[in-house]
Amino acid sequence: MNDELELSVRRDGDELELLAPAPGAFTLALEEGALLFAGATAGVLRVLERDHVLRVPAGVHGRVTNARPERVHEPVGHGALLYRLAPLDAAGLTSAPVGGAAAAEGTSGLVLRSPQSGRFYHRPAPGDPAFAEAGTELSVGDPVGLLEVMKTFSHVPYRAQDGLPQRARVVRLLAGDGAEVRRGDVLLEVEPA
Amino acid sequence: MFKKLLIANRGEVAVRIARSARELGVACVGVASESDLGSSWLFAMDEVVPIGGAAPRDSYLDMLRVLQAGVQTACTAVHPGWGFLAENPRFAALAEQHGMTFVGPPASVMARLGTKLPAKAAFEAAGLQGIPGSAHALESVDEALELAQRIGYPVMIKADAGGGGRGIRRCTAADQVRDQFGAARAEAEAAFGDGALFLEKCVDNGRHVEVQVVCDAFGNAIHVGERDCSVQRNHQKLVEETPCPLLSAEERERLGTAAARAAAAIGYVGAGTIEFLRAPSGELYFMEMNARLQVEHPVSEMISGLDLVRLQLQVAANQVLPVRQADVRLEGCAIECRINAEDASDNFRPTPGVLEVYDFPLDVGPGTLRFDTHLAAGDEVPPEYDSLLGKLIAYAPTRAEAIETLLAGLAAARVEGVSTTIPLHRAVLASDDFVSGDYDTSKIPGWSMAGSER
Repeated sequence: MNDELELSVRRDGDELELLAPAPGAFTLALEEGALLFAGATAGVLRVLERDHVLRVPAGVHGRVTNARPERVHEPVGHGALLYRLAPLDAAGLTSAPVGGAAAAEGTSGLVLRSPQSGRFYHRPAPGDPAFAEAGTELSVGDPVGLLEVMKTFSHVPYRAQDGLPQRARVVRLLAGDGAEVRRGDVLLEVEPA
Repeated sequence: MFKKLLIANRGEVAVRIARSARELGVACVGVASESDLGSSWLFAMDEVVPIGGAAPRDSYLDMLRVLQAGVQTACTAVHPGWGFLAENPRFAALAEQHGMTFVGPPASVMARLGTKLPAKAAFEAAGLQGIPGSAHALESVDEALELAQRIGYPVMIKADAGGGGRGIRRCTAADQVRDQFGAARAEAEAAFGDGALFLEKCVDNGRHVEVQVVCDAFGNAIHVGERDCSVQRNHQKLVEETPCPLLSAEERERLGTAAARAAAAIGYVGAGTIEFLRAPSGELYFMEMNARLQVEHPVSEMISGLDLVRLQLQVAANQVLPVRQADVRLEGCAIECRINAEDASDNFRPTPGVLEVYDFPLDVGPGTLRFDTHLAAGDEVPPEYDSLLGKLIAYAPTRAEAIETLLAGLAAARVEGVSTTIPLHRAVLASDDFVSGDYDTSKIPGWSMAGSER
């Protein structure tokens, strides 16, 4: 039998944040796009080799908008952000089944995500042509944009991971030019070329 | 030596431990409650894990949360500091179970020291003299009355699981024993979850003298002299000094040797303190052993030149004690004042707040000053935790010079934003009673509890 812990809640404007109720290893995290509602289980927090099922507290529901941690057992402190929830509207409830942001955003499911949090730019310099736009064919390693992280710019390469093909064609850019992105946010949608 | 150390505490002691750990090349992981997050003392740590709410039971007293912080940061040892979980044998055992060496004595030894009567029996067997009184928990009022009659009034009824001056009742006659016994038992039950009581002869006008010992896991034990902590209020120490002004060099040596031998005999490992009560007649009675580093450890460090936290970490890492008794040279006199955020003239009312000014100049003499603190100007003194701001320690060749140095240091200190016990310390150190060394635990020398300076 597992113990249970209730997630802590913090309200941040329109969004709700669900926080770790204790330090521990966070595992079985839900994917981005998952729907959460009061009483649902939302992963497991392992505290001193004991698993605690994480419960969503009463009065809380929404869709997860952050990516899940890269590590299977992510060490978190008390109060660490585990889930950020966007409010549900009627449309959200009907058109967004559990199963990933791709579906939620109405894409075919092939998306390239930001490897880091930062500011995303479409062009190498203002006035230059964009790295990629709808119709551009990409192969592994081709730059799709620039990411500014702590005043350092680096290319975001196309990578054949998370089910993406070796060669792809850009369907559309989803992150705006100069947009703030978080790690795991969708940058662009592609289709096999 | 350990690679990474979990410091299961906060504030001044956490910073103190981090200092010695760093000198040994050990990385430090701190834990912080919600109200401590963002405090400047956390900069002493290499990593910090937030563990819970502001209330101690939701953070620093929650052993699962504390140890999980060590587990997820791959610590191989945990130092408990003082207070909080420092003398909790379950915590020590749980730490070992989760792969962290507990910097302190084995859990089994600590468990024995935690209850008063088994500890007393163990130390009497190891050659120390206990205060006359019961050898086991009292069964009934009649037994208490009979024993009190035999050892003579006044007597103290004490809770076996009590500590820090709580759970003690003084009785001067049989009537009082009869009246107090039931209440004492109920109170002990409620406060400590254990209603066991015992009875001891009350030693009036006694002095609190304690011996610092350090033992390794190979049976070596040293003592680092004694400390006199007789300036107390409600059993809370205010001023500590070493050496004890009443002991002759020969008494001192005998006491220290007996204490070190007893600590080794009971299987103690690490730094610990054996507390004695010195009766006006000169008898030294064993009271208890504190299985931890103590707040007042700096005075022993000053006269010996040893770093007690460093020694703690070394013996916890299974190293042989790097110093033997013959290497321990105790020279000079050291006095420590605990600077608390309390208004001594208003019945020691705690005064949390923001430290607008916090300045302790140390370049005043004739001796040398040391100031142990975790705070700086602009920091907040949170209301959830104890009121210790820091400890000002003076060291000089003679007691008179040490007093002069400490008074100069207190006079130069400036604290604004909270009230402090500095005025109290200045009154105590300047008083004839303190200067002559003729005072005891019953009252604060130079300070009348009505609230006005004498």
